[in-house]
Amino acid sequence: MALHSAPIPRATAKALDTWLRSRAKAVRLPLTAAIGIGACGGLLLIVQAWLLAHVVDSVVIDHLGLSSAWPFLWGMLAVFVARAVVSLFADAVAFEAAAGVKQTLRGELTRKISALGPGFVAGQRTGDLTNLLLESVDELGKYYAEYLPQMPLAAFIPAAILVFVFPTDWVSGIIMLISAPLIPFFMILIGKGTERLNQRQWRKLAWMSAHFFDVIEGLTTLKLFNASRAEGEIIGRISDDYRRSTMDVLRVAFLSSLVLEFFATVSIAMVAVYIGFRLYYGDMHFLPGFMVLLLAPEFFKPLRAMGTQYHARMEAIGASERIVALLETKLPERPAGQNELSSSARLDIRFQDVGFAYRADELVLRGIDFGLARGERVALVGPSGSGKSTIARLLLGFDVPDEGAITVDGTDLRDIGPENWVARIAWMPQAPTLFHGSIGDNIRLGQPGADEQAVRRAASAANAAAFIERLPQGYDTIVGDRGQGLSGGEIRRVALARAFLKNADLVILDEPTASLDPETAALIADAVERLARDRAMLIIAHRLESITEVDRILVLNEGRIVESGSHAALLAQNGLYAETSALYHEMLS
Amino acid sequence: MKDFLRLLWLFKGSWRWVLAGVGLTALVILANVGLLALSGWFIASMALAGLGLLHLEYFMPAASIRGLAIIRTGGRYLERLITHEATFRFLAQLRVWFYEHLEPLAPARLQYYRGGDLLSRIRADIDSLDNVYLRVLVPTASAVISVLLMVLFLAWFSPHVALADFAGLLLAGVVVPLIALRLGRGPGAQAVALSGTFRADIADAIRGFGELLVYQALAPKLAALDRSSAALIATQRHAARINGVWSAATLLIAQLSLWVCVIIAIPLVGRGIDGPDFAMIGLFVLASFDAVSALPAAYNALGQTLAAARRIFEVIDTRPAVSEPSSEVLAPSQFDLRVDNLKMRYGETQAWALDDISFAIPEGSCLGVVGQTGAGKTSLLNVLLRFWDFQEGNVRIGGVSLRDLHGETVRGLCAVVAQQTHLFNTSIRENLLLARPDATEEELCAALRDADIFDEVMAMPAGLDTVVGEVGTFLSGGQARRIAMARAFLKNAPLLILDEPTEGLDAVSERAVLDTIGRLTRGRTTLLITHRPQALRLADAVLVLEKGKARVRDK
Repeated sequence: MALHSAPIPRATAKALDTWLRSRAKAVRLPLTAAIGIGACGGLLLIVQAWLLAHVVDSVVIDHLGLSSAWPFLWGMLAVFVARAVVSLFADAVAFEAAAGVKQTLRGELTRKISALGPGFVAGQRTGDLTNLLLESVDELGKYYAEYLPQMPLAAFIPAAILVFVFPTDWVSGIIMLISAPLIPFFMILIGKGTERLNQRQWRKLAWMSAHFFDVIEGLTTLKLFNASRAEGEIIGRISDDYRRSTMDVLRVAFLSSLVLEFFATVSIAMVAVYIGFRLYYGDMHFLPGFMVLLLAPEFFKPLRAMGTQYHARMEAIGASERIVALLETKLPERPAGQNELSSSARLDIRFQDVGFAYRADELVLRGIDFGLARGERVALVGPSGSGKSTIARLLLGFDVPDEGAITVDGTDLRDIGPENWVARIAWMPQAPTLFHGSIGDNIRLGQPGADEQAVRRAASAANAAAFIERLPQGYDTIVGDRGQGLSGGEIRRVALARAFLKNADLVILDEPTASLDPETAALIADAVERLARDRAMLIIAHRLESITEVDRILVLNEGRIVESGSHAALLAQNGLYAETSALYHEMLS
Repeated sequence: MKDFLRLLWLFKGSWRWVLAGVGLTALVILANVGLLALSGWFIASMALAGLGLLHLEYFMPAASIRGLAIIRTGGRYLERLITHEATFRFLAQLRVWFYEHLEPLAPARLQYYRGGDLLSRIRADIDSLDNVYLRVLVPTASAVISVLLMVLFLAWFSPHVALADFAGLLLAGVVVPLIALRLGRGPGAQAVALSGTFRADIADAIRGFGELLVYQALAPKLAALDRSSAALIATQRHAARINGVWSAATLLIAQLSLWVCVIIAIPLVGRGIDGPDFAMIGLFVLASFDAVSALPAAYNALGQTLAAARRIFEVIDTRPAVSEPSSEVLAPSQFDLRVDNLKMRYGETQAWALDDISFAIPEGSCLGVVGQTGAGKTSLLNVLLRFWDFQEGNVRIGGVSLRDLHGETVRGLCAVVAQQTHLFNTSIRENLLLARPDATEEELCAALRDADIFDEVMAMPAGLDTVVGEVGTFLSGGQARRIAMARAFLKNAPLLILDEPTEGLDAVSERAVLDTIGRLTRGRTTLLITHRPQALRLADAVLVLEKGKARVRDK
């Protein structure tokens, strides 16, 4: 259902078609084979018609019995088996063409996404990218398995049939020849107009479904306002309106198929009647006449199937639009740094007058200036949207400052090899990801070779060992899809265990205790405390209670550091921090 | 089978359309077969007449050929119109039917199906039921009708030929596709499962991209994705092979039937059937297989549809969690809330979710409720809002027992602001009017002012008519919370229930929301669930819930 495609401009569609075709080069062999096998099938069809016509001719005209028909009947049997084999092979070979393109393309796409890096990924919706890699690529498959092999056959088979029809009966040949191009012509002519109407209806259907499910999702809310019963009628009314307007459209849209049917069917009828009269007047023999009648429906079959192929092509073009766009996205221009940090480095990190913009000229950070070294803990606080997470992303190397620089032991972060830099970091984002697999493997993410003991040690340091060991499968428990089965606090503790196991020099934590009940928050705070020892730690918080212990607090507001200092010093400053803190205390008292 | 009959029963309102659609489809199939067969008979007769072997009145058959061509073409057009009309009528009925059965179950019984997938499951299931008429019913019924008529027609010429054709149709239309379906079920299910895993793997990798990078696990993950893709393609290949074998086999069966019928019919020529009949029979048998060509897809759809129907019926057949009183007592006129020795559990074998809870909230005062996840806070709400029944004890509003009141009356007395507030995907105005459909513009604005969000709403592109994106995406968490409070102001109910009203908000938003709550609770009997100490300041007393048991702490 062509829901996704707002009509693609002609020129773009053409360019995309060229791109799709260029990908076919890699699978030329199976494609050619599929076309060749299909052509054999077409020729077998003609042979079959000839054999059948022969049998009927010998029985009807020559009044011969079964014995004289046997040679032809055996021939028919052979052709039947051959056609079955051909159909089997044609499908299998066409599948391989599509499979080859799909597998390579998926590999290219995943590599491209990872080359584009975290800055790019952060701006994408997960669902969009998964759809692209799974469904869109699958939709392209039809282009290679159906459209490309079938299109030449749609020309070849009717042409081959005409080659036989013309010498036997040129008038039938003319009837077919004239009506043949009319079919695709009308298909395109009428199809263009109705396609747009169709799309509008599908959008309406999508809207109607969205409404229906919105209502179901909000059923509890409706019920709280005693408004749930009236909604049943509204759903009925909307559906009825949709039916009426859709039928108005379909009445016109189905005309296209009426025209197609008309040409194919009426041509067959005309051929039959015309041949009948030629036979009546003794102008031709029965055998060729009957054979033309047998071939007439086969002549129109591939032409009528062109609609389906055309649709497969349009779908593939629609799907390829975003694939091509992704593959052509420019890689960031910055050449990756090459310098290596020595492992004994002091790890003296300095933000020097750093500014950053996600979009040109819209700085979300400006004049950020602070230092962080081994053994220190620095906290970032401030309202949401003040730029805390952006600072963490810059430090991780996910984004690069637009102004100023970040230096590590005097070297610009831009000049340090990215692999070399992240090797020093452990990071826990606000919503850590557990990958499909066992809890043990999730803890082992950064050290695939770590032994069981090391994993257990890391888990117990993260206050996670107790709950993991209570699970029936312990460390072998499979967690999937967003850490299914584990609570938010448990997921974070597994992620902390990951950080302990990595034993990095720099630890970055994004809101480790947000949205947790006090007991769980305390368990995590305790683990964080342990993790901070002998490391440099940057911790983001929007609640003030959790961070009074750190060495330095940076208060951010609208992309700037407005205050900084220890908890006590900040309170003494009587600024934003003191004010917010007072607000809490007032609320607490 | 029971599910299938029950599914058919849903069509009861539009059976005329249903029958008309099936009849027209069969007519088109028969016209197509008739056209080819008659053409064969016609040219054979004309050839014999041309040779002087037969006298033929050719006007009628020639006209009939043209007539059949027109019936086939026009019939196909009408058939498509009528079947689509029937589909849309059914779709409307189905949704209303489903909704009306679902409504009494919300939210209590639906919680069983939670875990995020209820909605996506219902969505997919309803979608596949939408197609039951077009994809299952029409092809099956029209195939049965036309096959029977065609076989009867052939039997008039030769019972043996009819039998051979019938056997072929049965093989090609029923036996082979069913075998293919059974063989394909394994790889089909595997393909669905694998594409699910593949999807989850990709989603994981994208969501956790930064972590993969920092923990230097990207390369193995990419290799794993390549392997998942290859495995997916391998099962697709398996399914395609089965499909290919099936379609080759169907083709072969159709042709073998022709072959057998021809062999049976040749000796009959001159003994019961004549030459033109023979030509007609050949083409008739060949064309008859069009009648069953849509069946395999229908079986395939039937499997999915029945599974979907079973799940939908399963949801629908659940008993509502609360039975309403047969007659209702007068609604309370005072609004203190008393809970005495309340015990509640979700199933007879389950632990008590609320175990002997007692408390009272005097009219106009506020009780804070704290407790860990699973302590019973949600269960308490379910009881108070009559979403779930309780087993022991009593709950009274203004002295009137909760069980003597209709659920709707109870909920009419309560305004609720929940942590997960659903804002509907329409304008802010519509969302507010939910609370009081007849509210005037002034009343809407007053409620927004009370909730301290009036200025922000007016600053939005279309003011009150701004459309809230799905799940409130247009609004920040704090804004959505305050719109929900405006709704509560507008409802102006004597009892107020607040469920974690400030969770997940930053300090500034939390402060604004708390101020609003302060105004909202004034004069209302309030139950405030929270674990934020800042919010508890508003409570006159605090109830601590722990594993279903409670103790009250006065402030």
